[in-house]
Amino acid sequence: MQFWTLIVDSFRESLDRKIFWVLAGISVLVALAMLSVGIEEHGMSFMFGMWEVETGRYSPLSGLGRANVAGLLVYILMSFFLGWIGVILMVIATADVFPRVMEHGAVDVLISKPLSRPMLFMYKYAASMVFVLIQATLFVGLTFLVCGLRWGVWLPGYLLSIPLLVLLFSYVYCVTVLVGVKTGSTIASILISLGAWMLFTVPVTAVQTFETYPTLMKQERVYHAARVLSWIPPKTSDIQIFAAKWAGAGSAFDLFPKGAIKGADANQMGRAREMDEREMQKSPLMSIGSSVLFEAVVVLLAMVSFCRRDY
Amino acid sequence: MVDITEMTNWGVDLIDVRKTYGRSIHALRGVNIQVGRGEIFGLLGPNGAGKSTLVKIMMTVVRPTHALGTILGRPIGHHGKLARTGYLPENHRFPGYLTGNQVLHHFAALAHVPGAVRKKNAGRLLDRLGMTKWADTRVSKYSKGMLQRLGIAQALMNAPELVVLDEPTDGLDPMGRRDVRELLVELKESGTTVFLNSHLLSELEMVCDRVSILIDGLVARQGRLADLTDQTVEYRISYTGNAAAVRGKLVALGATVDEGEAILAGCEADKVNHAIDLIRAAGLMIDSVIPKRVSLEDILAEALADRSGSADAAPVARPVSP
Repeated sequence: MQFWTLIVDSFRESLDRKIFWVLAGISVLVALAMLSVGIEEHGMSFMFGMWEVETGRYSPLSGLGRANVAGLLVYILMSFFLGWIGVILMVIATADVFPRVMEHGAVDVLISKPLSRPMLFMYKYAASMVFVLIQATLFVGLTFLVCGLRWGVWLPGYLLSIPLLVLLFSYVYCVTVLVGVKTGSTIASILISLGAWMLFTVPVTAVQTFETYPTLMKQERVYHAARVLSWIPPKTSDIQIFAAKWAGAGSAFDLFPKGAIKGADANQMGRAREMDEREMQKSPLMSIGSSVLFEAVVVLLAMVSFCRRDY
Repeated sequence: MVDITEMTNWGVDLIDVRKTYGRSIHALRGVNIQVGRGEIFGLLGPNGAGKSTLVKIMMTVVRPTHALGTILGRPIGHHGKLARTGYLPENHRFPGYLTGNQVLHHFAALAHVPGAVRKKNAGRLLDRLGMTKWADTRVSKYSKGMLQRLGIAQALMNAPELVVLDEPTDGLDPMGRRDVRELLVELKESGTTVFLNSHLLSELEMVCDRVSILIDGLVARQGRLADLTDQTVEYRISYTGNAAAVRGKLVALGATVDEGEAILAGCEADKVNHAIDLIRAAGLMIDSVIPKRVSLEDILAEALADRSGSADAAPVARPVSP
């Protein structure tokens, strides 16, 4: 009874937030924009047929075309709209959950109920995930349906982006919660968690830089340190890789026609593509497992702080 | 088999409750408070005495440094007994996106009150507190008085055995205060134990069976209100006419004589009768004779004076179980 009471309450709270409707509006707009694009036999049409483009022999319905559609969904729409903008907005929308719960007068009634503090904490944490789950389902669900119904490209693997997006959000949100519980400040929790998100990518970026530019390999100790460090924080960038892989999108380089990337050194491009392909071979179990472990430790710290506090 | 801990007659039995913030701030320094089942108990004291801390410890909002004793026969924080306890915190806040009716259902569901009971109790309490008209209005639109009424209704949704009310008349108009007093008496009649924390001494005086005065984290006075206030401290004799002729005799009796009034300290009836005889013999008309009894305010003032006189008063002895 208590679980559903708090979930229903979180749902009501979500609907009361303007940002919930802003995000839902973005999802509908993106879906509408995609709906305005038509795939014809020898080309594509935009703005519901107002503007047509010949694509010659290339058909979006071919094998490569399907991979490109999946790439468009994952690399551009999911990663950008929901992966970056969406997660930032969702962190902003949910950052005040714990500071609000912990306000004097609000927390007293809740804590005086026969509900253990760890359970209250976990229910509230889960409630934020429900908020994100609704948004991710709306975005991915709508774009999935448009692809299938309008373009005839059904990509069931793309639906796995829903849990992946919730996972990506949870990697950042654990820090939001820890800072929120420790400081009681919504602003601090937003700024610090977004800063932490940037920091999470530093070791992985360092490793990638070492591997792209072999001349840097002389700093072997730094490289090894970066490799070890890269296993500690959540692997936020891996989420996009797994989403692409499971949706059948292939490498991000496939999105660009051959020769489109000019001025790049051929060797360098080769290494980057090779690295991209290696990234696609990453083990989801190791990546997600180590990230969830980090998240669990941070959530545990936040929960201990929440439970041991006097209100 | 009956659990022996359930057999105590105390609704609240707190023993040696201590709370220290950091290393040096002693909010509570060994509080012993006993509240009989079905009685209205008042906790009073000056600001910073530790009243709210004690209430919050009872309701598990604050973790004690040390605490023994029971609430409804079980250790503090027992979930089964928390489900049978109602609580109105001071300056409570309810989520603004919920309506009054939703607030009642939400918090009652967290206390394991079944849906059908919630529905029945919500309707009854909203009606009893004059809130039916506002039941489906969002709480964010409520006035302070309406929020207070809703808070009281929330505390009673689980038909509690014990209800802990922190400043229950805060924000209420005089009629609202009277409603709450009547409600408290109804609760007592139905067997509910009521624990009140208030700094409105006159409110407490009107409803409480027993009180405790908390000063500097210790119980300075505790007992039945009737016993504590069963003392006449002075008589005020009002009269009409010029008392110049008897002023000297009245002063000699120990009275303070003002224009139209003689105040006789103490409670000796023979002195009062003698003073009345003197006034009447001088041809003055007596309008009234009013005995002034000890008020809670007097008791609090006396306790505060005692406290400032002795740095560490001994804790009040534990009363015998009713």
